[in-house]
Amino acid sequence: MGRVRSGEDRDFEQFERFLDKWSRRDFLKRTGGAAAYLAFMAGGLEFLEACAGGTTQTSETPKKGGHVIEGNFSDIRTLNSMLSSDTASNQVIGLMFDGLLNVKKNGDLIGAIAQGVPTISSDGLTYTFKLRPNVKWSDGQALTADDVIFTYALAYDPKYADVSSPRRGDLSKYIGSMTAPDPQTVVIKTTEVFAPFLGSHAEYGILPKHVLGNMSAKEINTADFNTAPSVVNGPFKFVKWDKGQQVTLARNDSYWAGAPNLDSYVYKVLPDSVAVTNQLKTGEIDIGPVDPSQFDSLKTADNVVMSEFPVPNFTFYAYNLDPAKLGGKLFGEKAVRQALLYALDRQKIVTAVFFGHGSVANSVEPPTSWAYKEKPQVLYKFDKAKAESLLDGAGWAKGSDGIRAKGGVKLQFEMITNAGNKQRESMLTVMQQSWKDIGVDATPKLIQFPQLVSQIVSIRTFDVFLVGFNWTIDPDEAPLFHSRNTAAGGFNGAGFKNAQVDSILDQAIGTLDKNKRKQLYSQFQDIMSDEVPSPIILFNTGIYGVSKRVRGADFGPFNQFGARPWMKDVWVTDGK
Amino acid sequence: MLAKYVVRRFLASIVVVLGVTLITLVLMDRTRGTYVPGIDLNPALRPEDIARLRTNLGLDQPFYMWYLSWIWNVIHGDFGRSMIDGSPVMSHILDRLPNTLELTGTAIVVGVLISIPLGIVGALRRGSKTDHALTVVSVAGFAVPQFWMGLLLILVFSVTFEQHGLPWLPSSGAASPLNGGDLLDRLVHLIMPATVLAFFYLSVWSRFTRSSMLEVLSQDYIRTARAKGMSERRVVYLHGLRNALIPLITLVGLELPGLVSGGLVVEVVFGWPGIGRLAFERALQYDYSTVMGVTFFATLLVVAGNLLADVLYAALDPRIRYA
Repeated sequence: MGRVRSGEDRDFEQFERFLDKWSRRDFLKRTGGAAAYLAFMAGGLEFLEACAGGTTQTSETPKKGGHVIEGNFSDIRTLNSMLSSDTASNQVIGLMFDGLLNVKKNGDLIGAIAQGVPTISSDGLTYTFKLRPNVKWSDGQALTADDVIFTYALAYDPKYADVSSPRRGDLSKYIGSMTAPDPQTVVIKTTEVFAPFLGSHAEYGILPKHVLGNMSAKEINTADFNTAPSVVNGPFKFVKWDKGQQVTLARNDSYWAGAPNLDSYVYKVLPDSVAVTNQLKTGEIDIGPVDPSQFDSLKTADNVVMSEFPVPNFTFYAYNLDPAKLGGKLFGEKAVRQALLYALDRQKIVTAVFFGHGSVANSVEPPTSWAYKEKPQVLYKFDKAKAESLLDGAGWAKGSDGIRAKGGVKLQFEMITNAGNKQRESMLTVMQQSWKDIGVDATPKLIQFPQLVSQIVSIRTFDVFLVGFNWTIDPDEAPLFHSRNTAAGGFNGAGFKNAQVDSILDQAIGTLDKNKRKQLYSQFQDIMSDEVPSPIILFNTGIYGVSKRVRGADFGPFNQFGARPWMKDVWVTDGK
Repeated sequence: MLAKYVVRRFLASIVVVLGVTLITLVLMDRTRGTYVPGIDLNPALRPEDIARLRTNLGLDQPFYMWYLSWIWNVIHGDFGRSMIDGSPVMSHILDRLPNTLELTGTAIVVGVLISIPLGIVGALRRGSKTDHALTVVSVAGFAVPQFWMGLLLILVFSVTFEQHGLPWLPSSGAASPLNGGDLLDRLVHLIMPATVLAFFYLSVWSRFTRSSMLEVLSQDYIRTARAKGMSERRVVYLHGLRNALIPLITLVGLELPGLVSGGLVVEVVFGWPGIGRLAFERALQYDYSTVMGVTFFATLLVVAGNLLADVLYAALDPRIRYA
């Protein structure tokens, strides 16, 4: 038995190596197309957005009936909007539960259960939502302000402190009170002005008080409702969840915005990205996320349309700036941080690791954000000579072993990321090589994801870590760069402390004036481009493959996972 | 005598189960840190959220305390709840168990039914072209990695067949997503994964039957049987096969826990919703309670399977007695 087991482990390693080799060969075949990629990326976001709309054809009359099967690699975890923290669950929850507001693909907020964006008092503290009249739960009960208040109470009311909601931090800090002057009006009073409130917290699916209202906090954590919701307010109703296999939903005829075109929607769990590709080809699934390495294999399939768009997501590495640690001694000087970034051919990373699907980052705000500044103060282009002269200038001279050192400290360190993420592993290898070329000895080290998280938020003995971050529609980046979050548990594990940045970030979430915020974030991006405590390597893109029989799929940066307001209008040409 | 042996083995089994689960927990605890299972790097999460979620899951306790309360609950039949989705671990296992039994059971039955005749043919025609061909096939079956064979079958019988308009087989899952689940639908889904798994068993067992048969056929009592003029058919099947099968029973018996855990690779490649894939996915998500539950369950079956094989062996082979 033992022998067979270890054989299986070896099989997995071989399998991964096979995939690796296979995708690299595929890549070599296409290096000739690299120039075309560059042109494509230079075409910029407008072009990508145009592509994203490619599957929508307005000239045809939608047909009623039929089904869509969407594939993905992870099973959902819960169907309770207040307990969910993963994208798979959020995606399925979004089809059954509308929130107060919804997000368009460009990040604009639109009304859902609420008629539109709320009116905000002049002091910026009070939000008044008008709910749509006659919104009904699928069991016929009216959805009122009580349901909204109940839903938020799960994450801010001390009575529900034991509810395992990942949303509690912000909501309990900023919500002072919630009241319902009448059944169609919700008034939220916040304790201080908090600009990201609507963008981050107004989209949670509203839960039925008449089903969950009598339960204790502990009972809510394990309620049957979380795995099989009996009533919904969104376009689809729950049918069944075969764990590890699929979630099946059916049309909700009493949906407030009108019944969707489809009879049913299936979320199907697949083993990996290769299976997504295969099943898009065979038509076993109609929609699926496409890994950059699989893009070309699918592009040639005649039954699939590809949809690619920028996402509010970036991959970055961070220097440990804590003066008490080795990192602080190595990276304390700005010149070193800048030099290492200049020495990195990030376009090569985008092309070789992400097959051209992504773009070199020039700012700390992703290009999907309204606050994005295309040309902040300092721009970094691959420039080895400049990198070397910066290091020379700062007194880091090459020793006899070819490694730079200053005051007896060698420019020698470890870079960590989570094992199993092929793209991040490859990026560390490229970084090691590039830095070796300028006399810097960096060693990649792969650790388990929980350990990586612990390193970032608490242990912090790392020198450099590499990881990716997903952002909401709000440009606030305090979790990563405010000195407050260097405290244990915060995400500013790099230990970046800059009084000016702190004050800008505080001002920017403390005002609702969008123009003023934009100005502040522009300043923020300038400073960050000069300080580069955590250089962003690239902005990622999202890619979906959609079957040609599906019409109306309207993927974009901000509506791929959560509520997809367009799903109700999706239809299938064969009506099956 | 046998009863005493069984009791002693049973007591030893408890130690094994405790040991395996404790080692599993210690290994997982080494990677745990301040991570909360299921919670990724999310800028909206505050330190106080993380602390609260950890307390809710009991992760703020040292691992030995966690282990003691886990064992206490398991003794009382409670396997706890998944740290990822909050549903009972036992319901996860019971949900997946029928699918796994369907797959591995089919593969084992098919494997036994095909490997025995193949082994006999190989032994009787030792050195012939048929024998060599069978040897090549079984060596291939043993050497070819299951995931590779699985991917190849998917590529040929799903993707390529579909593209050429031929009848093709579904590439993942145990049933069709819509209106599926009847016998024919499940059978169609079962063909490829069961073939891969059966091919592996078949290669091992047919080799084993062959060599065991060869050994028996060279025994004195077979020569005696032939010498006294018994028909070849009776010699082979009555005196040869019956004796040759005894060691095979041990081998198949040892594979019984494989009913639950043996299909891991195949389940992962074919997206089969079984126990193996559950363990694999949950280990990747650091769902400690589910991994512990599955480990406990699988260990129990391994221990029971071994015990059963030994007892069967003793019952079938008069030469073997336990002291």
